Amino acid sequence: MPFFDSTFKEILSSQAASVAGGLIAGTLLAFYTDKMLLLPGMLILIPGFLEMRGNISGSFSSRIACGLFLGVVKPEKIWTKIVKGNLVASFLQAILVSFSLGLLAFVFNYVLLGVSSAGIIVIPFVAGIIANAIEIPLALSMTFYLFRKGHDPNNVMGPLLTSTGDVISTISLLAAVAIV
Amino acid sequence: MNVSKKRFLARHLRILQKIKKDRVHPLFYHIHRKYGISKKTLFYMKEYGPRRNVPATILKESLKMLLLASILSSLGGFSLETIRPLLLSVMPIVILLPALSDMIGDYGIIFSSKLATMLHEGRVGKKWWNNGDLRKLFAQILIISFFTATASSVAALGISWASGYGFTPLLAAKIMAISLLDTILLVLLMFLVAVVAGIHYFRKKEDPNNFLIPITTSVADFGNMVLLSLLVIIFF
Repeated sequence: MPFFDSTFKEILSSQAASVAGGLIAGTLLAFYTDKMLLLPGMLILIPGFLEMRGNISGSFSSRIACGLFLGVVKPEKIWTKIVKGNLVASFLQAILVSFSLGLLAFVFNYVLLGVSSAGIIVIPFVAGIIANAIEIPLALSMTFYLFRKGHDPNNVMGPLLTSTGDVISTISLLAAVAIV
Repeated sequence: MNVSKKRFLARHLRILQKIKKDRVHPLFYHIHRKYGISKKTLFYMKEYGPRRNVPATILKESLKMLLLASILSSLGGFSLETIRPLLLSVMPIVILLPALSDMIGDYGIIFSSKLATMLHEGRVGKKWWNNGDLRKLFAQILIISFFTATASSVAALGISWASGYGFTPLLAAKIMAISLLDTILLVLLMFLVAVVAGIHYFRKKEDPNNFLIPITTSVADFGNMVLLSLLVIIFF
């Protein structure tokens, strides 16, 4: 039972990709602290917002991969009822979760810190729409592409969505702060 | 498959879709045996089949969990918000924040999925602490977490230094200590939680896959932010 076996190497390489994405997102946060993190409530919002892409795009990709393996979703035909339904559901999840995160940040801000800022509700809502408009189609196309190439999307999509998701989510938050 | 068999199968599938998900219905096993359709395919078709409203099914099943995760993350985020001035004054910690969160959450997912497979294969018994496979998995993840926590701290310090942030050996040691303590303590905690919860649900004849990932990722996310806030207060 060798210690540095294929499992060790697979976990280490996927973690390297995940950490790289996290560090890029962290660098963006640090460089734009004055624009983003100085807004009251942003630190309440950011962990949930960054986590959202795994919970939504990750589950979306996993459901599609499961359908592909079971033969219910055909690799040569993307626009089926199941895929469209999954896309609609993921966008709705993104909108609802972004709004709830904003609402929670507003409530925490108001009740516990005594700060009232309605912007904190609008920022994640706008950022959630921008981020998921990029992340969900990316997850869909990558899942189909990997499956067609003979790979198991479940092994690749997790680290891929973690590393790209952090960067896309942070840029979307910056864009939303600029817009709002 | 002849026409009459196809017609029977279509009728059976329509009935199956109407049966409540939590009911163990004999029709499920009948279709599986008679038509040779795998149980996983039947489950998938029952959930997302032709007559089902796919978005409604997904939203109904996932929304509670997503909202619970949002509440937990916001609670964790609140602990960071309470130390905002201190946190923002230490640039390497801001850079490390998403990387630490990703890393620890990923270890939770790896632990959970591998442990669930071990339980299903009957490789984990009552004396789990004597199990060679489990010990090896724990040691592997602990070593990888040590490597990744060290590498990410060095990278965060390097990025901060390159962008003009003041750098001292004491600061580097503090950042390293925070990153290593945060990662290793949470890996230990997650391992214990995953093993105890996994064995508990498995004994209750439940599939640990359905519980372990949400439990460990919630422990990882919430624990990371609270522990990080505490460590920043202690070290700075």
